[in-house]
Amino acid sequence: MAEGDNQMDGIKLSQVTRTYTLGSEEFNALNKVDLQIPNGDFVAITGPSGSGKSTLANIIGGLDKPTSGKVLVNGQDLSNLKDAELSSFRNKTIGFVFQSFNLKGDSTALENVMLPLIFAGISPKERRVRALECLDRVGLADRAGHLPNQLSGGQRQRVAVARAIANKPTVILADEPTGNLDSSRGEEVIEMLTQLNRDGITLLVITHDKDVAKHAHRRIEVRDGLVHEKGL
Amino acid sequence: MRFLDYLSLSLRSLRRSRMRSLLTIFAIVIGATGITVMLTFVTTVKNLTVASFVKTGQIEQIQIAQATDLRYDPTGMSVQSGGGSLSGDGSTSSTTQLTSALETKISKVPHVVSVAAVLRSRSPAISNIRFKGKDWVVQSVLGYEPTGALTPAVIAGRDLKAEDSGNQLLISKNYADVLGFSGKYESAIGVHITLHTMEGYTGAGANLPTRLPPMHQCAQNQRKCFGGPTSGLPAIDIPATIVGVLDNSENGDQPLIMMPLGAYIDIYNQSQPANVQFAPQNNQQGSGNNGGNNGGNNGNQQPSGPGVVVGGWSRPSVTTFIANQGGFDSFMAKADDVTHVAEVASAIARFGVGTSTGLKALNDQKAQANIIGLVLGGLGLIALLIASLGVMNTMIMSVLQRTREIGVMRALGARRKTIRRIFTIEATAIGFFGGLIGVIFGSIFVLVAKPIITNMAKSGSLTGATFTVPPWLMLAVIAGTSGIGFLSGFFPARRASNLDPVEALRYE
Repeated sequence: MAEGDNQMDGIKLSQVTRTYTLGSEEFNALNKVDLQIPNGDFVAITGPSGSGKSTLANIIGGLDKPTSGKVLVNGQDLSNLKDAELSSFRNKTIGFVFQSFNLKGDSTALENVMLPLIFAGISPKERRVRALECLDRVGLADRAGHLPNQLSGGQRQRVAVARAIANKPTVILADEPTGNLDSSRGEEVIEMLTQLNRDGITLLVITHDKDVAKHAHRRIEVRDGLVHEKGL
Repeated sequence: MRFLDYLSLSLRSLRRSRMRSLLTIFAIVIGATGITVMLTFVTTVKNLTVASFVKTGQIEQIQIAQATDLRYDPTGMSVQSGGGSLSGDGSTSSTTQLTSALETKISKVPHVVSVAAVLRSRSPAISNIRFKGKDWVVQSVLGYEPTGALTPAVIAGRDLKAEDSGNQLLISKNYADVLGFSGKYESAIGVHITLHTMEGYTGAGANLPTRLPPMHQCAQNQRKCFGGPTSGLPAIDIPATIVGVLDNSENGDQPLIMMPLGAYIDIYNQSQPANVQFAPQNNQQGSGNNGGNNGGNNGNQQPSGPGVVVGGWSRPSVTTFIANQGGFDSFMAKADDVTHVAEVASAIARFGVGTSTGLKALNDQKAQANIIGLVLGGLGLIALLIASLGVMNTMIMSVLQRTREIGVMRALGARRKTIRRIFTIEATAIGFFGGLIGVIFGSIFVLVAKPIITNMAKSGSLTGATFTVPPWLMLAVIAGTSGIGFLSGFFPARRASNLDPVEALRYE
């Protein structure tokens, strides 16, 4: 790999293979995938269940490591990172948004948003200010003290989005972010993510929903461990 | 990440499963309360023992006897010459007799501040205590030199003093009880009682006539009667004053009277008629049986008629009297400082006598208390170990329930170490709160039981008992339960930290 590639911004996958072993059988969830996503892009990742799209997202997000191949995010080679470095990478570079929100039920909206800031070692005072800013950005500053079960589904996902952006990541990975929401709430969330993308954050959305996918600049389909570029 | 952040995350999840956390903590509380109460009790007993040894000066005492297997006895009651300690196990006795010369030698050993010789009655010269027309049988009388070396534990009044030349007495608590001073021992002090002798008594105060009254026929070992040519002499009453009440619990609360050695020798060193002539049919002559021998047990037929003392009365010298006893029964030496006790004891042992120190007795008692503490503490520890299984179970459940949350935290940037710490701190917190509440419960229990324990201690010689949970024990219990929590949480926490974040996020 040339020196210049390492310093390239954005996401670059080269010959990425992820092999799973089920009993004595091995299968490739990803098979020699090459993919480049420049910074600021908005990519919809589609594909049938079990096709490998979540594996792709997990590898880009530093939650999983490829069996072979290379993953570069903003020039950083994830395949060589140790747990602490990878955790720090996730904490600072990636914002995760999940289908089922995954908020801590015992913590308020504000505390949920502060969580990644705690892991980043930010002082209590500053994390509070930053978490409130993020909640304000998703329009929930007035719900800061509410517990997740006191919020609607749409509001919960917005809290999750606020949490994802708390540490000012360069990439947001959203796995079916509208999957648990009705269409109008879903639309709101996508609108919000789109706005973040316009502000410069790279946005990767895994979705089955064509309406969601159509917001993206680019659509790739994962099928049988291979990535296909799809027209919009 | 700061410790407070870990703590806050850990406590939050404890609060979330409130009932489960409380039950787990409660199991720890039971063990911690038990340990607190039991070890407080043992510590109190130990402290009281030490306090008593220090207060009575026993900690600086070295007891000396003719036995190598001497068991320390603060009154000297159970120690006798020749035969050694009454509780001896039959090991070789030393043969050096305890003489006044030896006493002088011992008093010159460096760091010895005083020595007291002790004689213990064998002959029943005094038969009864008489008070307000009632009699109580006398069993043991002990004479000792009130030099300050032997310091019996008095619960009322005072110890004997060097100037107590008269018949000043210490009586054991059970005598005071039967004399009617139970529970108000102070009022026994200064009370005059009578020491009623045997018939045939010829010690101090006895009228020694030239013509002896007809002898009494005494059955063997019959109380109140010596037998022999003087047996017809009447019993006399020796006035005495109670100056102190003794705690004789060290000797199983056996009744005991203690008096100055001088008075003791006056009473027990009895005069003997030099030559007694009887009526013609029973012309037995002899030195007569002295008081130490129950007459009539030598197979000779007893002369019955009155006898005439021809050669006058004579009394053995003090040295002879003591030699006849086989020497003093024991010495008590006192060292100038507790740090010199062992040194003094070994120096004295070189004279060929057995020694035993209060310090060793104290250490033995402390060792016993420690064993009891270990046993009781062990029971508490078993309770805690069982509780620790509860903590482990709770933590494993917690990891299972929060698998997805662990995945989310990992996705948000928590390291393995972070996850491990959150769970470890959670388990440690369970142990900590269990210990804290246990110590509080234990302290309340101790507070409630305090009057009872204090009363128990007061009925002995130990006043001002301090039955409180020592601060070091509080800290140790809390640290111990926290440690147990930490250990119980170790494996569940490791399991949590080793979860694959992808798998954890997928967990339903």
